[in-house]
Amino acid sequence: MIESRRLILAHFWLAFAVFLGAMILGEWQMVIRSPLHAWINVPEYYYRSVTGHGTVMAYVFPLLVAMGFGYAITELSLKQTLVGGRWAWAAFALVVVGSISAIAAVASGTASVLYTFYPPLIGSPFYYLGIVLVVVGSWIWVALMAVNLHTWRRARPRGQAVPLAMYANVAGAALWAWTAVGAALEILLQILPVSFGLRHTIDAGLARVLFSWTLHAIVYFWLIPAYIAFYVIVPRAIGGRLYSDVMARLVFALFLVFAMPIGVHHLFADPEVGSGFKYVHSVFTAMVVIPTLLTVFTICASVEIAARLRGGAGLLGWLRALPWKNPAMLGLTFSFIMLGFGGAGGLINMSYQLDSTVHNTQWITGHFHLIFAGAVVVMYFIIAYDLWPHLTHRALGQLLLIRTQLWLWFVGALVMTIPWHLAGLLGMPRRMAYFDYSNPAIAPQAWTVVAAVVGGAMMLASAGLFVLILVRGHRGASIALPEYRFSVAIHPTAAVPKALNGFTVWVSLMIALTLANYGVPIAELMAAKTNVPPVFYDNR
Amino acid sequence: MKYLRSGRSLGTTAPLAVIVIAAAAFFMGFYVMPDGRSQGTVWQRICRAAGFVGSRPRTVVQTALAGHTKVVVPTAAMEVGTPRQIGHGATLALRCTACHGAQGVSGADAPNLAGQYSEVIYKQLVDFQRGDRADAVMGAMVATLTDQDMLDLAHYYAYLPRPEKDRPLASAPPLVRVGDPMRNVAPCASCHGSHDGKMGAPNLYGEPELYLKTQLTAFAGGSRANDINAQMRNEAHLLTAAEILSVTRHYAETSASNLD
Repeated sequence: MIESRRLILAHFWLAFAVFLGAMILGEWQMVIRSPLHAWINVPEYYYRSVTGHGTVMAYVFPLLVAMGFGYAITELSLKQTLVGGRWAWAAFALVVVGSISAIAAVASGTASVLYTFYPPLIGSPFYYLGIVLVVVGSWIWVALMAVNLHTWRRARPRGQAVPLAMYANVAGAALWAWTAVGAALEILLQILPVSFGLRHTIDAGLARVLFSWTLHAIVYFWLIPAYIAFYVIVPRAIGGRLYSDVMARLVFALFLVFAMPIGVHHLFADPEVGSGFKYVHSVFTAMVVIPTLLTVFTICASVEIAARLRGGAGLLGWLRALPWKNPAMLGLTFSFIMLGFGGAGGLINMSYQLDSTVHNTQWITGHFHLIFAGAVVVMYFIIAYDLWPHLTHRALGQLLLIRTQLWLWFVGALVMTIPWHLAGLLGMPRRMAYFDYSNPAIAPQAWTVVAAVVGGAMMLASAGLFVLILVRGHRGASIALPEYRFSVAIHPTAAVPKALNGFTVWVSLMIALTLANYGVPIAELMAAKTNVPPVFYDNR
Repeated sequence: MKYLRSGRSLGTTAPLAVIVIAAAAFFMGFYVMPDGRSQGTVWQRICRAAGFVGSRPRTVVQTALAGHTKVVVPTAAMEVGTPRQIGHGATLALRCTACHGAQGVSGADAPNLAGQYSEVIYKQLVDFQRGDRADAVMGAMVATLTDQDMLDLAHYYAYLPRPEKDRPLASAPPLVRVGDPMRNVAPCASCHGSHDGKMGAPNLYGEPELYLKTQLTAFAGGSRANDINAQMRNEAHLLTAAEILSVTRHYAETSASNLD
């Protein structure tokens, strides 16, 4: 039973509204940089749009989904009313005010700094203050998740295991709390003084290192709601059982450990970081393979259980018995296919040597759109579809429409991102407002940009359908729902290892590894006081 | 569901495993395959792999080319001037008004200085004084100025309101907004800005057409050579006379006197 329905719906609706807006910007960008359109007269408009698209899609949208989903998990898994409802609304208000501030700065053309806001390009302080407010709001959510877990524990005899969904949810919150520190330090200590005009130089190298602290773990933070859905929604939704509860906990614990000390793989081409640390970060990036493959194994096994429960048999014959028309099954399949392609690409990005062939090319854009826009967002859809009847107390019918929406998203994402990977291999740089297609060296890449227009249009249509389905969900027939359930493990778990019922070990490792892998580069750059270029004001 | 009370093994084996992985990664990254392995002692190589500045190769400073400008623009030139500096600059500027206009807007095809970026004005003044940019009038005008005088003049002119705000880049000639990549001509706007300001390049909107044309021609012929990395000479010599006319007209036509 969800009691904070209005709170959760507010988060989801704001998330999906800004998502649709950012989708329109994304498709516009695809069109105007393609051969279907003349060169854009004012490249500044392109970068303004890219900044808006990135800021919404990277910060506002996934954060609101994680927050809304987190509140829902708290009430559904702990079976208690959310503690600190007023604080939750205050956090929501901060996210709203912060988003408005940042987006207004971008829309007015004073902060076309892209969502990574790499110095020495500096935009309006309203952009950075907006981001800070969004982060502060999200930290309130993090605290609420911890407080609710603590309240639940106090009310129960010692020794009762935390429900898996809540364990994973709090792991995600802890990851976010720590990973946001890097960008927060960068903004507060380095960027804001410059943005307010108090200083005129900035150590861009240090800023990039601090941002990389946030930049990669944030990706896993986007991923965690999708992973939670893999484990606690999909097996139940397709009529199966979770293969292993303990394995699932281990995966989320390992994400805490290995998501953090790896961000320097974004800085392989940066001279200010030593090669030793680049190598170490590369090794730890590779370690993320462990929780990823554990997930692939556990979820495939869980799906096989569902198939066999439905009468499937044989070595691979059980695949036919799966409920392919079930949106959760479809979403999971699409997500895994895209995660597979995206993960293979990621192995290339994380390699110190191979990265140099694709660094800062369209390949990278292809990679993170395939993983995030593809594999992760498709699971956000599934989360919304799964929770919607429990939030609206109305039937969410239109299965055909839902399947169409998911198919459109999947095919659109592949049509858009696979050609981008190819374009990157051919050397096309990312973040370009226009290309000179009459240049014989560039002409063979033109079709990839047209493909992105087509794929983007399919995704935009899918996003529109998604919002339409949810709106209609508010007008469906009123229904009495059975109690909401998360997946249960096939073998009732007799005992959970103590380390996997809490976060002490994993959070300690997360912090220790961050210090080991970031301490020296940050301290060294702070002490050296070199690389201090004058800044470029975007709002001059 | 209860948790396993005796299950402390994971809580100790997991950190141990992570420590082993970290130790192996650091050993590989810092000892086995360090940066520039053939040079220096083991300790120097480890420091280099950790990215310490002292172990990095020093930046090679290239010798100045003939006619190469030697101005180092201090951050003081990029900041907004204090009222005292602006006032002093305004007093000094009285000698400039005959050509540059009483409010920094010229009636004599000399550059309009009102609202121009301070570091741009400062650099040109220093170049004139040191002879890196040749002009019979300006050379004499700046000869006696101190460095502080030049800074204050720059702050004064930067403080004056720019007469023209509207920058219709959408109607600009292709050379201004996208350049001509096939000939390696960069767009003017990529350095001179459009909606934004770019550090180190002047704002050209509203400058007199004759002045702009003279300067582009001088860059093209090499008689003006105080662009730091020859970037203006490299661009200007690629332009035809008609192209010079089109870009100068674009920047000039947006001047205050030509706007309704």
